[in-house]
Amino acid sequence: MPKLENALISLNSLSRPAAGKVSAPALLVVTLVYLVAVLSVPLYAPQRIVWLAVYPVVQSEMSGIGFARVFGKSLWVLPLILLIGIFNPFIDTQTAFTIGGVAVSRGWVSFFSIMLRGLLAVQAVVILTMTAGFYDMCHAMRRFGCPKVLVTQLQFTYRYMVVVVEEAVGMDRARKARGFGRNSYPLRMWGRMVGQLLVRSYERATRIYRAMLSRGFDGTMPLSRPQHMSGLSWVFMLIWVAVMLALRLINISQLIF
Amino acid sequence: MSHHYIQFKDVRYAYPRGSEVLHGINFRITHGEHVALLGLNGSGKSTLLLQINGLLMPTSGQVIIGDIPVTRKTLRIVRQTVGMVFQNSDDMLFMPTIGEDIAFGPRNMGLPDEEVTRRVNGALDAVGLTGLGDRPAFTLSGGQRRAAAIASVLSMEPNILVLDEPSANLDARARRQLIDILKQFHHTILLATHDTDMALELCPRSIVLYSGKIAADAPTAALALGEDSPARNLFRTPAAPALTPTPN
Repeated sequence: MPKLENALISLNSLSRPAAGKVSAPALLVVTLVYLVAVLSVPLYAPQRIVWLAVYPVVQSEMSGIGFARVFGKSLWVLPLILLIGIFNPFIDTQTAFTIGGVAVSRGWVSFFSIMLRGLLAVQAVVILTMTAGFYDMCHAMRRFGCPKVLVTQLQFTYRYMVVVVEEAVGMDRARKARGFGRNSYPLRMWGRMVGQLLVRSYERATRIYRAMLSRGFDGTMPLSRPQHMSGLSWVFMLIWVAVMLALRLINISQLIF
Repeated sequence: MSHHYIQFKDVRYAYPRGSEVLHGINFRITHGEHVALLGLNGSGKSTLLLQINGLLMPTSGQVIIGDIPVTRKTLRIVRQTVGMVFQNSDDMLFMPTIGEDIAFGPRNMGLPDEEVTRRVNGALDAVGLTGLGDRPAFTLSGGQRRAAAIASVLSMEPNILVLDEPSANLDARARRQLIDILKQFHHTILLATHDTDMALELCPRSIVLYSGKIAADAPTAALALGEDSPARNLFRTPAAPALTPTPN
């Protein structure tokens, strides 16, 4: 199946909660605690972050997504993370430790630390969106006091991403139907196509918005399922929060080695 | 019986920075009437329909739905009263599954979960999609998607059903199913269509638009068969001459 169609299916599937019975608020709390735990580890102690990888690995496997898939998606932000930390080895050249006579600078340690925490944080968010369902996650955010304007922006950004990809699929089919196998076009041609894509997406988005308004939409997407916290959700949340606090507060590397 | 009628009083509409599209539209559709809105492409049918639930507001004049004038303050009650089925079903099916699409309206109305479930199942049954509520829209055929779009409106139990070219792109069987669904709806229907056979079967009365004006408002059969009917050529497909308005 072509890449654009695949992207469309993936995007659409994000809006639906995974088959698991853990509710979105529990998933959101666990993710927030995880982000705080990962990001609060001192920059020059990456060995303490490594232990926190247990959440994305275990949770992605438990929810049936698979860690390989989550890891693959997290690589999309790797360039951004690289950009943040790439200058550290050149700026901070003070030796942190030596391995077999080779000195490792504090800059390299902090670079590795930034990479690790960046990837783990993104993986946790990917797991959240894939298991909670995008709209349910947004509702949970509202429940926890996130400003409505921010949540609505998130919902519409997601919705319009789907619209843009749908329109792109249509345009790509039309191009291929009359392209006779040709794939290389002058840059100006691609520029015009992108312009057309934006105009078409805007018009389509307007029609969808009208359809939503006519069915009573007032700026808040309705829930796809009730968000009451089941016993399972409480157990899930309490266990993970306890595990994360333990991993964050206890230096396991020091205990073992 | 409720009093959900549609009344247009000298309605005019111009798109921003555009010329006037509707020029003084007047008509009244009473409760339970099934009326077809006929006219060539660009005659103003879709623009007129969008005025009914306040998606577009008249530049001047008034639209009244069951004693309630359509204003920004009355939009909520008007949109609960008027169910609108748009020309392109895909524009109406934006949720992950059609069940959730059908539940979208009732949930926005603040109905409890049990009632939402009852309405979703009822609407799916009514349009012949029983058991397909968990399917994403893109896995359905064109006819099923149209049926799902109608179900998404029926679940709100509207008193007035407004449809924009509902039989477009449907094959003969899906079109027949659509007509059967609409026959079951006993409240008011306003149907913009080029499918004049459908108009003849469903709507005893037709309003003909020409260049933003009402060219005729008469029984559909008379418009189709009358020798001097201003819309008679709309009912003929081969090499029809251009429609001309009725002189006022």
